[in-house]
Amino acid sequence: MLTALGGSLIIAFVAGGLTLGLRSLGGLLTPPRTTAPERVPFLGGLGPETHAWSRFHVRYYAMALLFLAFDMEMVFMYPWAVVFLREGMKAMVEMLMFIVILTLGILYAWRERALRWS
Amino acid sequence: MAGARVEVVLGQRPGILKRLAAMAPVRVFAISGSESAEIETLIADLELEQEIVLTDSPRSANVLLAMGEFPGSMQESARRIHDQLCGPRRTLWLRQNVSAPSEAIFPKAIREDTHCDLALLLRKIHRDLLTGVEPSEEPILPDEEPALWRGVGPYGQGGTGMTGGVPYGRPMPETAPDRDGLALDQLSVRVGPFFRPFPSGLTLALKLQGDVIQEAAVAENPFDAKKLNPDFESGDPFIRALSEPVPVVEMEMARARHHLHWLCNALQVHGLGALGLRTRAIARSLSPGMIAPIAQLRKILRYSRSVSLVGAGVGVIQPDKIRDRGLGPVARAAGLREDLRMTDPAYQELGFEPVVHAENDVRSRLWQRLDEAMQSVTLAARSGNATSGGGGRVEGPRGVITLDGNSLPLLLGLLPDLLYGLEWGDAVATVVSLDLDLRDVRSQRVS
Amino acid sequence: MISYGRLLGELATIALVLLAGVYATVVIDLWAGRMVARAPVRAFRALTFPIRQTALFLLQQRATTERPDAPLWALAPALLAAIAAASLLVIPFSSQTSAAGIESGIVYFGALMALVMIAVYLNGWSANSVFPIIGGYRFIAEALSYEMPLALVLIGAALPAQSLSVSAIVISQDSLWNVIRQPLGLPIYLIAGLGVAFWGPLALPDAADLAGGTESELSGVQLLLWRTARIAVLVAVAAMGAAVFLGGWTGPWLPGAVWMTLKTIALIFIMVGAGHLVARVRLERFVLVAWTVLIPLALLDVFAAGAVVLAGSPR
Repeated sequence: MLTALGGSLIIAFVAGGLTLGLRSLGGLLTPPRTTAPERVPFLGGLGPETHAWSRFHVRYYAMALLFLAFDMEMVFMYPWAVVFLREGMKAMVEMLMFIVILTLGILYAWRERALRWS
Repeated sequence: MAGARVEVVLGQRPGILKRLAAMAPVRVFAISGSESAEIETLIADLELEQEIVLTDSPRSANVLLAMGEFPGSMQESARRIHDQLCGPRRTLWLRQNVSAPSEAIFPKAIREDTHCDLALLLRKIHRDLLTGVEPSEEPILPDEEPALWRGVGPYGQGGTGMTGGVPYGRPMPETAPDRDGLALDQLSVRVGPFFRPFPSGLTLALKLQGDVIQEAAVAENPFDAKKLNPDFESGDPFIRALSEPVPVVEMEMARARHHLHWLCNALQVHGLGALGLRTRAIARSLSPGMIAPIAQLRKILRYSRSVSLVGAGVGVIQPDKIRDRGLGPVARAAGLREDLRMTDPAYQELGFEPVVHAENDVRSRLWQRLDEAMQSVTLAARSGNATSGGGGRVEGPRGVITLDGNSLPLLLGLLPDLLYGLEWGDAVATVVSLDLDLRDVRSQRVS
Repeated sequence: MISYGRLLGELATIALVLLAGVYATVVIDLWAGRMVARAPVRAFRALTFPIRQTALFLLQQRATTERPDAPLWALAPALLAAIAAASLLVIPFSSQTSAAGIESGIVYFGALMALVMIAVYLNGWSANSVFPIIGGYRFIAEALSYEMPLALVLIGAALPAQSLSVSAIVISQDSLWNVIRQPLGLPIYLIAGLGVAFWGPLALPDAADLAGGTESELSGVQLLLWRTARIAVLVAVAAMGAAVFLGGWTGPWLPGAVWMTLKTIALIFIMVGAGHLVARVRLERFVLVAWTVLIPLALLDVFAAGAVVLAGSPR
């Protein structure tokens, strides 16, 4: 017997392994090429001047922080959904208060232009 | 050689897989140099084929379709694209006059003139290539690393950390201040001349921080007016109208077709390939007064809110920069009532009133051209035998054309300011919305 | 708990569902595209298209770039395929095969779908090329925005069931499907689902304006696997939507599995059709709309669902 999580891990590994296996099979049928000009990344015809890897400026970082706050809220909401009916109105009101505070956070972020960056 | 090895492997493997692959849709990456109207029609027809796919990137294509003559500065890029196609690969080079002398840009290419049945030919090339009848082409450029290997460490990163050296001969991006007051990496990239959403030949030198453009410069136009094929513009009614009267119906139908072909490209860039094809088909079978299919297309775009999803508030130009400069649809989409046809007696008789949109962004340029196409089809149906032109100035589909030139240099000059600070997708949408054609140096040649 | 025999059965079912689902989706997509284009469809060619395309990609070389991150590049499609396959484990295709012992099915599903972000980012990062990298970072912004609405509407559906198990949610729809009981739920779920599969209007990481973005350096078998895995994610999203909002296997006359298949295909059809009719949204606009419209609406959906449950409870 397996735990359910073990089962899902096995399924994930089988799917991932099959994908990697097919990839190798494709590599055997037609080996990846090797000359230098064939490796130049595509930019519309001209070669790159620098490596593409860089410290990318993630301009939506403020939104990403907002997401963290909401992601924590989700953690509370899953168990809340299960006990909701048992707790009744109390659960409803408590979560509503919590959400209203978080939604004010969205409004604040929106006013501070955290959701746009160009 | 890699190509030879592929051939050996493919050669040993006859049978079902190869036969099935030979029956697959042909994946084509198309690059165009100086083109004639004939070739433009060919490529438009090609897109309507169910079994031919034009790819956005050369990587996943098997056939490189090169069209026309490539001026000197584009040849190196064309060869690089050739090498970026993943094998098995083959090149088809279409030229107006196949026997004319040319530089050997693609030494092994199949050469054909523009009268061939392109779809059939592409399918045959694909079939021969995949079944192994024809060998895959070797890379053209020499197998040289971009620079000497100077790295130390397992990934050749030179010193320590990601930015410590010169891996693979290419430097790491430099650091530059950002408007947020931070010092961050700045990617310098040159995009073009065969980047599919851009007009052929357009190269932008960009400095990117994140996905936002910090600096944009337009590289020199590779298409030199003097070198173009003299037959190039013979069929263009707008060029003829510079020097002689041309039937209004002919000009208006050409304008409508032009706008619809542009719309097709724009829709493809915005992820609406299927509707783009529909536009292409409408443009191909367009006749005077045939307004219903365009109106239906407009309805779909309005109900799906597609046009405002991609273009609301994007690429706004200061109206002062485009006022009275003869920029045609771009100016009219900015709310400026500018159209040479307003003062033309032939059009005045038809009760011509220019279509105007006010928002001056990518969205209103889309609506503008769609509405102008409908207007032109209507005008064409009503115009009878009216003629117009011969005055040396014509309202072309991209704006005013005169004996000395057209709106292209002006529009190109607008780009650096316009692109500054835009997110990448918005920048591409803006370039597309201006309807640039770097080969459109025709009028500059007439004088 | 799950036995090895059961696991084998699950594996076979998942493989069948994914392969058939991907095949059907490709054909539906092709057909819908030709319909929208008003172009003739040759039925035989459309039906055999996936096979021929697969053969071509198997015989096409795989692209490499200058100093790519090779292990991660190989891992990206494998991860995406693993996500799609594992998520199907909690989706019941009939009342017998329901939910292999994972009680918190929608938590599990949400957690897996969050990993799609990693797979897409890896695919964009590892080629060491500009367009894929921009595509990868774009998708992170997109994913952070659709994540919340997706999870919230699933929680809304869990309220009447008093359980996070997908089977329980299906059973709770015996009297009335969630699509009617919670009218905001399915539309929001489908929008977020388009985001998860980065499809159609939300195909931001592999858009044409980036010459294919995260796909622009892919060819041959690599491209085949990536696209297959991505469509598998779409199938998983549609199957989950059918279970949670359209009553899953319940339905008259026909066996449960048939109902589930029909409902899944209907949702696939809606999503694929939207891809041909709605233009790709600007990233900034999507982020703004997701936070200021979709999330508030999803919250409204949750509390409205809660109110309905409370009003209907016997207390």
